[in-house]
Amino acid sequence: MIFQQKSSSKQFNETEILEPVRPAPAASEDNVETIVGPSVNVEGDFASEGNIIVKGSVAGSVHTSKHLVVEVGARIMANVRAGSAQIAGEVRGNMKIKESLELQSTARIMGDLEAKTLVVEAGALLLGKVSMPGLEENKVKAVRSSFGKKTEEAPVTV
Amino acid sequence: MYVYIYDSFVRNKKFESAIRAMEVRLTDYGIAGKILRLNNYTDAKPIIDDEIRRGAKTVVIVGNDETFGHVLSRSATCDCVFGFLPVGQSNTIAEVLGIPAGVGACDVLSRRRKERLDVGWMNNRYFISQLHVLPAKVEVVYDDRFKAYANDKMEVVVCNLKPFYWKPDRHSKEQFVVHPQDGKLEAFLRPLTKAGFWGYKYESPSIFPFEEMEITGKEPFTLEADGKTSKEVKVKIKLAHGKIEMIVGRNRKF
Repeated sequence: MIFQQKSSSKQFNETEILEPVRPAPAASEDNVETIVGPSVNVEGDFASEGNIIVKGSVAGSVHTSKHLVVEVGARIMANVRAGSAQIAGEVRGNMKIKESLELQSTARIMGDLEAKTLVVEAGALLLGKVSMPGLEENKVKAVRSSFGKKTEEAPVTV
Repeated sequence: MYVYIYDSFVRNKKFESAIRAMEVRLTDYGIAGKILRLNNYTDAKPIIDDEIRRGAKTVVIVGNDETFGHVLSRSATCDCVFGFLPVGQSNTIAEVLGIPAGVGACDVLSRRRKERLDVGWMNNRYFISQLHVLPAKVEVVYDDRFKAYANDKMEVVVCNLKPFYWKPDRHSKEQFVVHPQDGKLEAFLRPLTKAGFWGYKYESPSIFPFEEMEITGKEPFTLEADGKTSKEVKVKIKLAHGKIEMIVGRNRKF
């Protein structure tokens, strides 16, 4: 989609010449496809093939294979699955992000997070469990139990 | 054989020289043909069907966005190749199709670069350019999976070929343009919020690409599609893939 801003001197419906103009602020992300604007509420299984920008509220579930942006003031009350995400709003639900997850200072997350890379800016609020692929739960348990055994079975020398 | 369908406004004197120049160029290329003139109450479909029966292979629309929508919304099912020669103001679709204004359009026509275009389908009829629901309390269900609604009134614009122009508010000098992409329809939702004592203010639009959507309202809402206005309570909108075979230019936007 080509998202452009027209020169100011033109009238609203006057469409004769479309000059190449600078991109609109909402289109700063490349390949923007779906935008949930402010004061728009979305309910249900919200899925998209492209990037998603949320400025309003979403309830249900959110799924995209690409980038998700949750802007300041936006609310998501849903489980989220995305390729990568940048959160500045509020999310109530579990998030499963394939690549990088960035929590900005205004972010408020209530739910479990799973991401390959996690960036948390100072001021971001998070209530939930964080897990990252690479450290599997069984390995962690094994390490914990081995720690316990070592301390218990340590030979005592007098 | 080529058939040219002229809109009634091209008879106006100010377009006379442009039309004459085009006709000369078409004759030079050897693609001049029969000229039919539309009137206000003419339905293009039976005329085109009749010409196809007589051997017409290419139907060329001469006019602006309105003419293009008017003719193609009625004759999308016709089995022929369509061309377009833009004349006058408001020719946004021509730009999307990569067809320049004036004599340059004849060059594009003569090159015959053909593409299959998608058409919007709405309550048993087609629309080509744009579908516009005037601000009303409506709810939109996308692909039977999720619904979008606003707390107050909302304007809905569904773009097929015609770009969508919007301003953050009425007095704003900035204007934004979204060029539709082919392969999907784009729906733009603009909620209205109360501003001051009198009027309403438009919020920035939400954009949803889709293949099927349903607009429902508790009260009838006004809907405009290709220049035809109607009152509806429920509208189902779909995308019909590759319905029209169209001659397009190299600089098309899809």
